[in-house]
Amino acid sequence: MTETKLTARNVDVYYGAKKAIDNVSIDIDNGIVTAFIGPSGCGKSTFLRSLNRMNDTIAGARVTGEILLDGEDIYASSMDPVALRARVGMVFQKPNPFPKSIYENVAYGPRIHGLANSRAEMDAVIESSLTKAGLWDEVKDRLSDAGTALSGGQQQRLCIARAIAVSPEVILMDEPCSALDPIATAKIEELIDELKENYAIVIVTHSMQQAARVSQRTAFFHLGNLVEYGETSEIFTNPREEKTKDYITGRYG
Amino acid sequence: MSNNSTFSSPAFAKRLARRHAAERRFKLIGLGAIVLSLAFLALLLFIMMHSGLGGLNWNFLSGSDSTDPHVAGIWSAAKGSILTMLVTLLLSFPMGVLAAIYLEEFAPRSRWIELVEVSINNLAAVPSIIFGLLGLAVFINTLNLPRSSPLVGGLTLALMTMPVIVISGRNAIKAVPPSIRDAALAVGASKVQAVFHHVLPLALPGILTGTIIGMARALGETAPLLMIGMRAFIVTPPGGITDPSSVLPMQIFLWSDEIDKAFVQNTSAAIIVLLVFLLVMNGLAIYLRNKFEVRW
Repeated sequence: MTETKLTARNVDVYYGAKKAIDNVSIDIDNGIVTAFIGPSGCGKSTFLRSLNRMNDTIAGARVTGEILLDGEDIYASSMDPVALRARVGMVFQKPNPFPKSIYENVAYGPRIHGLANSRAEMDAVIESSLTKAGLWDEVKDRLSDAGTALSGGQQQRLCIARAIAVSPEVILMDEPCSALDPIATAKIEELIDELKENYAIVIVTHSMQQAARVSQRTAFFHLGNLVEYGETSEIFTNPREEKTKDYITGRYG
Repeated sequence: MSNNSTFSSPAFAKRLARRHAAERRFKLIGLGAIVLSLAFLALLLFIMMHSGLGGLNWNFLSGSDSTDPHVAGIWSAAKGSILTMLVTLLLSFPMGVLAAIYLEEFAPRSRWIELVEVSINNLAAVPSIIFGLLGLAVFINTLNLPRSSPLVGGLTLALMTMPVIVISGRNAIKAVPPSIRDAALAVGASKVQAVFHHVLPLALPGILTGTIIGMARALGETAPLLMIGMRAFIVTPPGGITDPSSVLPMQIFLWSDEIDKAFVQNTSAAIIVLLVFLLVMNGLAIYLRNKFEVRW
């Protein structure tokens, strides 16, 4: 029923001489939510950012090993990072809408990729993206208002709409709810659950409850290593590794 | 010992009184500093207005330099300043902004780039007369561009203004939060698109402020222009950027050197014109900054 979308084989990530990720291999499937959990500084965000080559923008960051998207090496010289990021979208920890209108925020991606050829087509993309992000009803009458004037939760859904608008195959979410209140968090989680039908979703989270609520698979990272990876229900009820057990029972982290 | 007794003891009350006294003293000294500097400015303005306003009439504003103080006017020098500033702006603004973008967003971290950065910072502190010598040696003696012209003056002042624009531009670009770059890159914008679509518009108000500060400094500059011969006695306004010309501060300098007492009024009137020129430029800067400023 599921197929593998992203495959990492023996991936190391370095920041200068420091090794932040050590020999991680993982398969990420289509149509489900995969959660990365682990204590701060364990490398889960670093690994996430290597999946769409956002680490390229950090001076001194280096990735070795193989990361395959549909069997294609994303670090191969034939892979254009710009095209890759159109296929693997990202939502960040702090909502970061452009200081432009709601419409322009969503329209930016489709425009630079030439995905809409007319105003009407663009309008349709905007509406469907905002609808999928569960924001359409709240903003449809004020699309020309500043995206930055929305509430935190709405801003984050706007960022999700912006990512969806370029029709990615994978959506990476880096602690998307850590700056939000519980109600906004619940909305985003609901949204993630709906979105997983059409995308492979990877979410980094500090909250184990969140991982348990939204994900089908969970990967536990510790000190740059992938300690355990499996069905979320298994990880939380019957972890194989002692470290995982200690972490999910709150003994450290 | 409970907090209550600590904060109600006479020793504490005394300390508190001393702290308040120190605060009052600081406020007073700060106020004094402002009043003193403003008082000098007011005094200067008063003297200028007193001796110069009488000379400000249409003949003065539209006339050119002359040996007769009652015929001498400011227009040739003002036009020279406008043309020189245009050349300076057209050269230093694009060059400075592009250099700032490259250094801040694209340059790889290397020894060479660090050397370039240090050089630019030092360049901003080089005495202006050195730039005048450079202009004389390169633009006039080597490239044979016309002496005393706004073209050479503008080129020379552009060399001086560019580092200021680079430094302020880099600071403005640095102040744009990295999350905006991330957001653009994450939807598949290229680096250049992220910079020109998102970073530059947000940095523009800061860049403009720095540019105007640099331009205002260039407008008041006299020393480097002495070196390239812009102190000539000009009786006709320059027709273009290659005609011999003077500039406002140079005209002030020349008139203040005249023996004829009547030139005192001309000098003061010219200073008023220069100040108005500066005010207009600063006003324009504030207008542009507010126009481009994005509310978050």
